[in-house]
Amino acid sequence: MKLRKIFALLLAATMMFVLIAACATDTADPTPPATDAGNGETAAPPVAPPAGNGEITIVNNKVEIHGALSEFGRLYYELTGVYVDVQSFGGETPYAPALSAMFAAGTEPEIFVFEGIAGYNDARGAGRVFDLSGQPWLADTDLAYISPTDGTPVGFPVNIEGWGLAYNRRILAEVGIDTSTLTNVNAIRAALEAVYAQKDALGLDAVVTITAGAGMEWVTGLHGVNAYLSLGLDYEDTSIIDMLLAGEVDTDRLTAFAEYYHMLFQFADQAILTTGGYDASIAQFALENSAFLHQGNWVDPVFADLGVHFEMGYIPHAFFAHDTPGIFVGAPSWYMVNARADNIEAALDFLNFMASSPEGHHYMAIASGQVPAFRSVALQPEGPLSVAVMEWSGRGQIYAWHQNEMPDGFGMGTLGPIFALLADGTIGVTEFVDMFTAAVSELG
Amino acid sequence: MGGKTGKHTPIFFLFLLPVMLAFTIIIVVPLIMGVYYSFTDWNAVPGTPINWVGLENYFVMFSDVSFLHSFLVTVAFSLVCILLINFIAFMFALLVTAKLKFAGVYRAGFFLPNLIGGIVLGYIWFFIFNNAITAIGSTVGSDFLAMSFLGNRFTSLFAMIIVTTWQMAGYIMMIYVAAIQSVPASLLEAAQIDGAKYHQRLRYILMPLIAPAFTITLFLTLVNSFRMFDVNFALTAGGPSGLFMGQALWTTELLALNIFNTAHRFNDFAQGQARAIIFFIALMTISLIQVYFNKRKEIEM
Repeated sequence: MKLRKIFALLLAATMMFVLIAACATDTADPTPPATDAGNGETAAPPVAPPAGNGEITIVNNKVEIHGALSEFGRLYYELTGVYVDVQSFGGETPYAPALSAMFAAGTEPEIFVFEGIAGYNDARGAGRVFDLSGQPWLADTDLAYISPTDGTPVGFPVNIEGWGLAYNRRILAEVGIDTSTLTNVNAIRAALEAVYAQKDALGLDAVVTITAGAGMEWVTGLHGVNAYLSLGLDYEDTSIIDMLLAGEVDTDRLTAFAEYYHMLFQFADQAILTTGGYDASIAQFALENSAFLHQGNWVDPVFADLGVHFEMGYIPHAFFAHDTPGIFVGAPSWYMVNARADNIEAALDFLNFMASSPEGHHYMAIASGQVPAFRSVALQPEGPLSVAVMEWSGRGQIYAWHQNEMPDGFGMGTLGPIFALLADGTIGVTEFVDMFTAAVSELG
Repeated sequence: MGGKTGKHTPIFFLFLLPVMLAFTIIIVVPLIMGVYYSFTDWNAVPGTPINWVGLENYFVMFSDVSFLHSFLVTVAFSLVCILLINFIAFMFALLVTAKLKFAGVYRAGFFLPNLIGGIVLGYIWFFIFNNAITAIGSTVGSDFLAMSFLGNRFTSLFAMIIVTTWQMAGYIMMIYVAAIQSVPASLLEAAQIDGAKYHQRLRYILMPLIAPAFTITLFLTLVNSFRMFDVNFALTAGGPSGLFMGQALWTTELLALNIFNTAHRFNDFAQGQARAIIFFIALMTISLIQVYFNKRKEIEM
């Protein structure tokens, strides 16, 4: 009896303690534990930040460059004494929720990545957008993120990416096709037919590898649609995306675009087209079982893993009868300097160092294996498709990215299923144009 | 301390405190916040102002064809799953409780798929449906098998039912096994001596006595198939596409995936939250009705 009473009192005391502890988080250390990359990569061993020079936190959305970025941060610390804490989320730890969780916990990193209008709007709503006007690196790039609300630069381009229709140089040479002529739809159709005629002799499963099934809607609903939005237009020309946002389509342009995709679908491996995943589609092209691939240069690391050594290049998604020489190149993500963070000046210095120093150029082009967005970078990345992107962008033959300016979910969720219907033959080009037009009219 | 007075001492409430605290923090508070968010334009970004929009999210939801379609597909999927899983699980349970050689091995074998996570299962079966079965199909010259099950809206849903059944049947079987083993052998023997055939013993002795198990298994299969997300996400991702009321949509997108896509793909968290509330109410209603009717069938020995 007595024992039980003592035990009960002990338990009660414990509960009180827990309650007090739970209510007292305000006094605890506000900095969260330095979590590492979501996939278990380890960060640089924590070097104690020296007093005075400060510390900046950079939140990165690509776990595959975590090591290179941490290494660059460590170098920066050695040179300047400013400690760079790199936190990476991606893969199994989705980036956006992880970043939200940091904000919710009261942590304000100096630099974080955003991927376009949605991320920008979120940051603006929360008062985190810092105006980057006057930063020296702005003169060295065309791809800074410009605020759609007031026209000021607010994003530092992390890298550039691009896509056209990738081709296997050896196969097209064997068929005798001059790829430099493939800049209009008639030339491309003739090339597809020529490869198809020799399909068995070349040992191909299909002429084109393209995916349109569930889970791969981004290929058609975002990258595909961008051809409609920007092919043949000046880089700054937003007329088609503006029309789309107003609920209108250019029917002639849309019809030509639909016929082009219908043609690609007809020359594709039907199983991969309708139900295939990313790996299966990349593997088909990588094993030289198809001559063309509808993917961007982000595939390069997969090629490296698969030990692919053949030469490849890009031709444009030229759906018009007239020539439109150019592939789609843009910045997929930007660094934002957080206006609510403590150490804004140090963050600006760090980004400037990355854009202008030889160490920064080496990090961007070689160590992280990306295509840098700055003209002054003379180094070349290793990936075959990245080299092809640099060829086109070096000649200035590029068209813009507008796919991320569509409302969230519209490309993949609304247009994706319509592409899939065209791919599996449920609908034809006319119905596709009608359904596309009807879906767009909802946006008006 | 004992008797009636003990229940009213402060110490009694202190014992309750940890559970109540956990329940409040983990269930009650999020539920109330969720209901609140469903009436706002909440976008899940900390620091953004939240505005009250009334019933707008609910109007949008019920005028969205994809939501209605998801609801119907989920109901169809759940119905078939409940029947198939329980039938197979019950057969398995009869099999492994019969005096068979290696009954323990079968039991472990049937249970094993349940230990594999749904996402992993989804990817494994994605490969099986897309590559293995199609390869067999083209080898034997069967056009039906050579086409991936995931390419047609009906076979694709059926593929999900197969995987869900394969995953859950072993677990449900264990519940039936436990129930069957608790039935006194003397009752069954007495019936046998009285001349009852096997199916009669099954129908009139065994099944009434394990009615409480049916309450549990039907509840579990109902709730689990209605809430299905992981296999859906990894196996079909909602595909293939199809037409419903003139709109193109993903035909095997179940409710949970529809809510996920609304929140994360369309970046409309408040709308997703409103759908989750309706999802919760629908599931609660259906399962309460099911438990009520099953409970009436239970008998005391």
